[in-house]
Amino acid sequence: MLLLVGTIPIETLPLTYGTVNYQPDKLTIGDYTLEGQYVTLGTAAMISAASATCQALGIPGPNAAVVGDTGMGEGTMKLLRYLTEEIAKLSPSVVTLHYILPTRDPFINFINAAHKMEKRPFLIADAGALLNAKAVKLAPKFDLFTPDPGELSFLADPDAAHPAYVQHFIFDVDQTEVPRLSQEAYAHGDAPQYMIVKAPTDHVIVNGKVVAVIKEPNIPALEPIGGTGDTITGVVSALISSGMDVVEACIAASKINRTAGELARPTPATTIAQFIPFIPEAVKKIIGKK
Amino acid sequence: MPEEEKDKALVVFDYIYHAMRAKPVLEAAGFKVREVAPPVEYRTGCDLAVEVDATDVDAAENVLIEKGVMILDILFMPKGAKLIPVYLTKLIKTVDYGEYVMVRCGNMKITYKKSNGMIVNISGGGCPDIPFLGMKLYGTIIGEGPRPRALGKTVCAYTLEHAYDKALAIYKKDSGKKGK
Repeated sequence: MLLLVGTIPIETLPLTYGTVNYQPDKLTIGDYTLEGQYVTLGTAAMISAASATCQALGIPGPNAAVVGDTGMGEGTMKLLRYLTEEIAKLSPSVVTLHYILPTRDPFINFINAAHKMEKRPFLIADAGALLNAKAVKLAPKFDLFTPDPGELSFLADPDAAHPAYVQHFIFDVDQTEVPRLSQEAYAHGDAPQYMIVKAPTDHVIVNGKVVAVIKEPNIPALEPIGGTGDTITGVVSALISSGMDVVEACIAASKINRTAGELARPTPATTIAQFIPFIPEAVKKIIGKK
Repeated sequence: MPEEEKDKALVVFDYIYHAMRAKPVLEAAGFKVREVAPPVEYRTGCDLAVEVDATDVDAAENVLIEKGVMILDILFMPKGAKLIPVYLTKLIKTVDYGEYVMVRCGNMKITYKKSNGMIVNISGGGCPDIPFLGMKLYGTIIGEGPRPRALGKTVCAYTLEHAYDKALAIYKKDSGKKGK
């Protein structure tokens, strides 16, 4: 079972756990329904993309654990404490952590609880969870990170506690910078075994080394659209939970996101809500399943 | 002759929401301050601390309390202690998309329409308030609507504020040229 975890900036959203069902104007998580602009807000964009991918693959949809948090962290604490207690019972095979407020003990306790499970889940981190994992030195306890170039610069800087403190920030990763930064991050224990570096050219990394580069289709207008990195994370989570080989899943997720971009014909003003409905068609084009 | 280095104190916070407000509050009260990363043992991954001269610390603490800025702790730093400053002014890049301009600061991006200054996208970041900020800022005119610093509660929001400032400066400059 794929478990997707994160906060959604709705103060009244209680701690909610359940199966996910995405429709373009509605996202249901357990007995809670998000509608309109909330369907694609932060963690919800990642969850929607994962659900859309599962639907296209014809496999059971993901489960999600979400809570309201607008940045003060109370929701994040509640969510991490709940998961620390329940993770063994929920018994997911893949867990993806997304928008959370970085914390110390609640985050460390949850990751340790996941590692104590009889069969440890495959752990993926993006967004706040990625920042948190690096800041508390737990990156090697994860399996996959999905950073953008700025986040990769942050992982490669051993002293930086947040991308705002990176001393040598890389905006335009290229064939030289991605291998160097990936290797540095992995060498000092700030990167997991696998990474997808999300950029105009995507790179798949294994143990600090580039194993695949995906350039096409290249859709420049995707970069300004908030959420297009979140959708790669959702898609790759679904593909890995389907049993696909991890490297193959990373390459396919990159191609699916790009193909969805091509189908959406975006401008820099396109919203992620307009982008996600193209994911199922892109999955079918790249994976070739109904 | 260079000014002799003064002993420094570090104000650390439970919530970035308060840390983000500390610098403008202290500067308005006449203190010399610098925003830095807190020491490792205080870090969570979304941190900001404020450095002041050790001799100012009692007065600065009083100002912060008076203005409702909640402090977690005050640390007296050994002379010469190296703290990592915020590098945000060095982390800015702009991309021209024809009808739109994207301004990137560190891990945060803001995109607006050149013709009317309307914010059309916010991207990047990982803290819970960023999607919230996106929702509040989309469709507003840059410089006229809510600002990230006013609504945000994290270092990502603080970074976005720098991108917003730069975008506003570019928009104003370009609008001024058109008006001539």
